[in-house]
Amino acid sequence: MQTFYLAIVILALLAIVFGAILGFAAIRFKVDGDPIVDQIDNLLPQTQCGQCGHPGCKPYAEAIANGEAINRCPPGGETTIKALADLLDLEAIPLDAEHGTEAIRTIAYIREDECIGCTKCIQACPVDAILGAAKQMHTVIIDECTGCDLCLEPCPVDCIDMIPIDVTPISWHWQQPEQLIATSSLPHSHGESHHA
Amino acid sequence: MHKIWNFHGGVHPNENKTQSNQLPIVVMPTPKQLVLPLSQHIGKAAKAIVEPGDYVLKGQLIASAQGFISANIHAPSSGHVSAIVERTLPHQSALSGPCIIIDTDGKDQWVELNPPTNPEYLSKQELLNLIHAAGITGMGGASFPSTVKLQLKSDIHTLIINAAECEPYITADDRLMREYADQIIASIQLLQQLLGHPQCLIGIEDNKPEAIAALNLALSHNIGQHTNIEVCVIPTKYPSGGEKQLIEILTGHQVPHGGIPANIGIVCQNVGTVKAIFDAIFKGQPLIKRITTVTGKAAANAGNYEVLIGTQVEDLLAFANVDMAKTSRLVMGGPMMGFTIQDTQTPLVKGSNCILAAADLELAPVADHHACIRCGQCEVACPVDLLPQQLFWFAKAEEFEKAEDHNLSDCIECGACAWVCPSQIPLVQYYRYAKGRVKSLASEAHIAELSRIRFESREQRLINDKLAKEEKRKNRAVAAAAAQAAKRAANPNAEDPIAAALARVNAQKQAKEADAAPKSHAEIYKELKTAAAITRTKLNKTSKALANAQTKDHELAQDLQASVSELTAKAVEAQAKLQAYEAKLGLDPEKEKILLVAVAKTNATIRKLEKTLATAEDAQALEEEITQAKAAHQIAAQALADHQVTPTAKPASAQES
Repeated sequence: MQTFYLAIVILALLAIVFGAILGFAAIRFKVDGDPIVDQIDNLLPQTQCGQCGHPGCKPYAEAIANGEAINRCPPGGETTIKALADLLDLEAIPLDAEHGTEAIRTIAYIREDECIGCTKCIQACPVDAILGAAKQMHTVIIDECTGCDLCLEPCPVDCIDMIPIDVTPISWHWQQPEQLIATSSLPHSHGESHHA
Repeated sequence: MHKIWNFHGGVHPNENKTQSNQLPIVVMPTPKQLVLPLSQHIGKAAKAIVEPGDYVLKGQLIASAQGFISANIHAPSSGHVSAIVERTLPHQSALSGPCIIIDTDGKDQWVELNPPTNPEYLSKQELLNLIHAAGITGMGGASFPSTVKLQLKSDIHTLIINAAECEPYITADDRLMREYADQIIASIQLLQQLLGHPQCLIGIEDNKPEAIAALNLALSHNIGQHTNIEVCVIPTKYPSGGEKQLIEILTGHQVPHGGIPANIGIVCQNVGTVKAIFDAIFKGQPLIKRITTVTGKAAANAGNYEVLIGTQVEDLLAFANVDMAKTSRLVMGGPMMGFTIQDTQTPLVKGSNCILAAADLELAPVADHHACIRCGQCEVACPVDLLPQQLFWFAKAEEFEKAEDHNLSDCIECGACAWVCPSQIPLVQYYRYAKGRVKSLASEAHIAELSRIRFESREQRLINDKLAKEEKRKNRAVAAAAAQAAKRAANPNAEDPIAAALARVNAQKQAKEADAAPKSHAEIYKELKTAAAITRTKLNKTSKALANAQTKDHELAQDLQASVSELTAKAVEAQAKLQAYEAKLGLDPEKEKILLVAVAKTNATIRKLEKTLATAEDAQALEEEITQAKAAHQIAAQALADHQVTPTAKPASAQES
């Protein structure tokens, strides 16, 4: 009988000790914020364009974490949808056309002669990529511009253009070779690796 | 004899070197026009320092290096700068980029050259400055600015001179070594001096016996000195000229993944670069010319040519009698790693070692590729010990992360795997595609990260601004209250101004009420009516606001709900008061309405009759009718007046009842 009580006491003590350790660990190694939101946020293109209906990528990430559809990000396109589907173990669905279509990346360009210096675009820019002051000409820092279009609408003189980013020899890369079936006799020009 | 190791894989394509290595180097005359891309090296493009219209002398600096990894560009001949425009670049993409165009004047007049008198006594930094000023980049093809490699801080124990020239067809280095062996050895000694006297190994394939002999002869001229230079003859195997492969052959060490040769104490320089360094230091000449092989079955005068940098391919082809009609494909570089060029106006740059004008069937036609049969030959051939087949699947399926895990970045794109592939799969192109995507995805991720940081800091700034404003407002309120308190403290007898004002208003009100004559019933009735109407209107308005708030789910809805119920109570009360007063006075609004209608009706009849009277003939009868109508009107008006007047006429009795 004594052994029986001893066992109970030992188990109870063990439970208290481990409980204390777990409790301490839970406080000491507490994860701040919702890690899934950050993971989702990392997959989003950070254009901050609001086409998804949220005021930025982080709010959309939070909405996705709360069950919103993953196909509302046109700048991210199919790649982002695929990555989100992988992360959240969901079905990859086509882009919701209601929120826009996937387009090539552009950046804003201010026609500086026409700018009247109203600062409206500066206030609209979600990433502070426009430089200028009241009644001074404004310009876009192209390296910081995400191409979100949000500066177009407030401009009272329509002096902002969205221009596609040029392909330079540095940004250029090879395309995937054309996939022809073995029996096809169509001429094609791929491969720079030749037999001598 | 230095020990030779081996590297994994490698292939043995037909060498095809004899077509071009039989004749001495021919100096090509200055072409009419030179095209100098501002970016012909790895790193940042140089910045043009001449303007269109400027006259430049041979060897004059025309574009200066920008930043650490960049190189100067000099005028290869004298003439006028005609323009700085976009031209097709000698690049796989065939994109265009800014180029300085020089129309040569044929005088080939040198700028004043100041070669140092005693190069042996120059310090490390002085040598580096000279090499940097001369705009020297790696001449083996990659065009990496040479000074960057030479001024690394790590201890260098071995200098390797890459003279392997393993790619088929190309013989530029072969001829160079045969003809300039003495200069190459002299330059190597200078580099040893620069690097702290490491041993030097010249790696050269055994298919260049004349070049080996020439180098050994040049070394024997220095027999008296302790040179610590050794010519290491290595077996011919492609790609033994790859930097990392040559290092493994000569030292048995592998450059670590993601590292550079300097990590294991080695610096590697191409033999062409070594010759360029000789020209820069012993002659004071910047890098403005190079040896380029013109070969292929379509080239009648295949051989090696000393060309000025910026010479357009078509000029060189014409000089080497290349039959363009016979040329099926023009390749810049060798057959394994070169790229096809379409635009013959493409200029030759510092790294252009070969132009291959291939006739029909000289290069295997690009055949349709078949399915991978998993034979594994690519793995056997890979000089970097990768799994080419695996990488191919990943690249095809766009699984770039997995490809990266399989060390895609270590692929040197030598083409050995594609060369052995029995299914003729363009493997290298798949790897290049995958590498390109990995790079662009990484840069996108980098941009996204920057945007995220900027977005978040902007949000934080906006919040801070708002908080600061609120804080300011609060502080102002506190300050105002303090000021009030101070004022009151200064004058403790003064009453509270608000209480005083309220008291004044109340007193005035009471005085007014006291002064005012007792109200007539009609006035009281009117006041009650107005009060009821006002509460009704207020209630309506608030109800509407409430409905609106509820549809929008606004937070104010609850407050509104409360005020609606309050107002409803008030409206009911006001209505009740009004009705009670009506009852008290014996007023009947219904009856009053009927009377009013009767008055209005009689009034209308009179008007109508009077109108008819103006034009009517039987005036007598009409006038009678009018009199009757007027009488009726009077009766109706009297009835109404009686009804209305009642309360005013006898207020006392009404109040009593």
